[in-house]
Amino acid sequence: MSSNLHQSGVTLLKLLGRHSELIMDVYLSGSVAEGGDNAAAIDKLRKAEILWRPKPGQDLRLKRSVRALLEETLSDERNRQIDANVGSGLATIKTLASHYKEARHAVDYSASEAYLADLSEHVYSFAEGLRYSIRVLWSRINNEFGYVGTINAKIRENELAQSQVSELLNGLEMFQFSELGELAGDIRELRKLLVTTLQETLSDCTQELSVVQGRLLELLGRFRQIQGRTRLLKGWLLYTDQHPDYQVADHVSHKQLPVLFNRAEALLAPAAVDVSNTGYEAELLQLVAQVKAISRVERDTLVREHDVAFALVDAEDFEIADNPLKLAVDDYFCAVIDSGLRQSALQYHQQQTLEWDPESWLYQVICGYEGLPEEHRRYFELEPIGEPHPTYSGNFIIRDVELWLA
Amino acid sequence: MSTSTQTVLVGQGALIESLLRGEFICRTSNEEAWRALKSSTTRDSVEQYLNRINRTVASAGEGEVFFCGYLQLGDTERKVISSQFRDICNALIPLVEWLVLVQEASGQDAPLCEGAAVRLSELQMRIEDTPAFREQLAKISHYRLFGSSSTQVDAQIKLVFKRLVELGYLLRPNVEKQIYIATGKLDYLYEVIRFIDETEGLSLEAQAETATQRDLI
Repeated sequence: MSSNLHQSGVTLLKLLGRHSELIMDVYLSGSVAEGGDNAAAIDKLRKAEILWRPKPGQDLRLKRSVRALLEETLSDERNRQIDANVGSGLATIKTLASHYKEARHAVDYSASEAYLADLSEHVYSFAEGLRYSIRVLWSRINNEFGYVGTINAKIRENELAQSQVSELLNGLEMFQFSELGELAGDIRELRKLLVTTLQETLSDCTQELSVVQGRLLELLGRFRQIQGRTRLLKGWLLYTDQHPDYQVADHVSHKQLPVLFNRAEALLAPAAVDVSNTGYEAELLQLVAQVKAISRVERDTLVREHDVAFALVDAEDFEIADNPLKLAVDDYFCAVIDSGLRQSALQYHQQQTLEWDPESWLYQVICGYEGLPEEHRRYFELEPIGEPHPTYSGNFIIRDVELWLA
Repeated sequence: MSTSTQTVLVGQGALIESLLRGEFICRTSNEEAWRALKSSTTRDSVEQYLNRINRTVASAGEGEVFFCGYLQLGDTERKVISSQFRDICNALIPLVEWLVLVQEASGQDAPLCEGAAVRLSELQMRIEDTPAFREQLAKISHYRLFGSSSTQVDAQIKLVFKRLVELGYLLRPNVEKQIYIATGKLDYLYEVIRFIDETEGLSLEAQAETATQRDLI
């Protein structure tokens, strides 16, 4: 019997696995039409009672139990089904406990074992069901019923959730632990299941449910406020349309002024200088003299605000006059080429009695050398003459440079 | 220790200044100041300071928006208040029409409230695509509050949003982008309407409800 059950269970799961794509399609779309490409698969699933037809002539739908399995494991937020039927769960637990006690009393160990296993299964699944319901409620609260669009729908969803919470709470009230304790008697296993486990679960869940209830009420309040504001605006427009000569009554002339309208005049007005007052002229001029005009930002925006017209034309040719210092450096390079000798830059500077400051001269020589194209630079060698800085290592003071042909 | 007191004092200076500038302080517009006013110790010390110049910290929108009010009301203060009341009453119709337009054009359930963002380009696209919204926008932008004389949707909507930023109902956190964020002053506006509704017994919500039900039938 048991191996038979095992066998058919495995077959069913395999069937589910083989047609997983199809089943998910049905789960997402709600129903599937017979025929088409996978008619054979659909037929198999229908025979295994995974798909069923609610009414003749209608499309096939997924069985409730398969759908519930998917909703639970996928934490699908569209799932708003909550099993609030605590009563029947409680009755089953009590019945099983009685069976167990009877079997134990009759010293039928195998039967009592089986009943106990069954009972634990029921107690745990009951606790899990409760926790699951609360999780579903939280997930709906956390996204603020985001799966429906309008505020009115959200309010209705909220009301549904509230009724579910109160049903759950009512159901939990049915648990009388004195009664369960009596039923368990002095049997250790039963006490552990019926009293300890259940009590822990129940107190946890009751606490959490009251928090859920509070959050739901808060959300409802907010939804109503939003709805109220929309209505207020619409109502105002409607009213002013219907009563074109309506004037708001003078609410501020009463002795007792509503706090809402008690608004002080701005004490700190934007300041500006009175430029037409000649008395301030000296101070203003002094101030203006100190102003540094860094107005790039403002000028930019100004330019952008006025649409300045400009035309795209070819750029005109222009020449940059060569710097005489640079020309002199070129001459120096030519002199080195002509003589073919090692030549100090400063000596050349003195020989030619050049007018530039020796330091700028050296700088320009170094720049001239570095600025040469790679293939030209290879013909020259430049060596700086100087000494390292006496105090600060890593610094080299250049006194002179020498240039020669490589 | 001394540095922390100093920062608190500096923060309070800025806070008091913005209150005295007549600004509304909410979480969106000035979170630091808002937090400071939410804590009773800082609020008390700000209150003490303001009391010396006949000002007090007032709040609206369930304590989420703060502004500066008068402590004692003399004739001058009453004059200021009644002129401000007239201003806000004159602004009510254009603002409400604008709020409804934004809500309908963006297809939302909720009207704009503090912290909600409006993308100008999206809104403009939707308004341009629907003649009814275009007309509504033209009507709104020609109110004196906004004062547009343009016939172009683009110019109208930009002017309306610019004015709303000036009036403190919207913020534009990034000048480069056309994204606006509603401030707590809008919540203040709702409270003003609700106040008028309740004191004058207009029962606006009930009227809107019956009107929508009639539409449904």
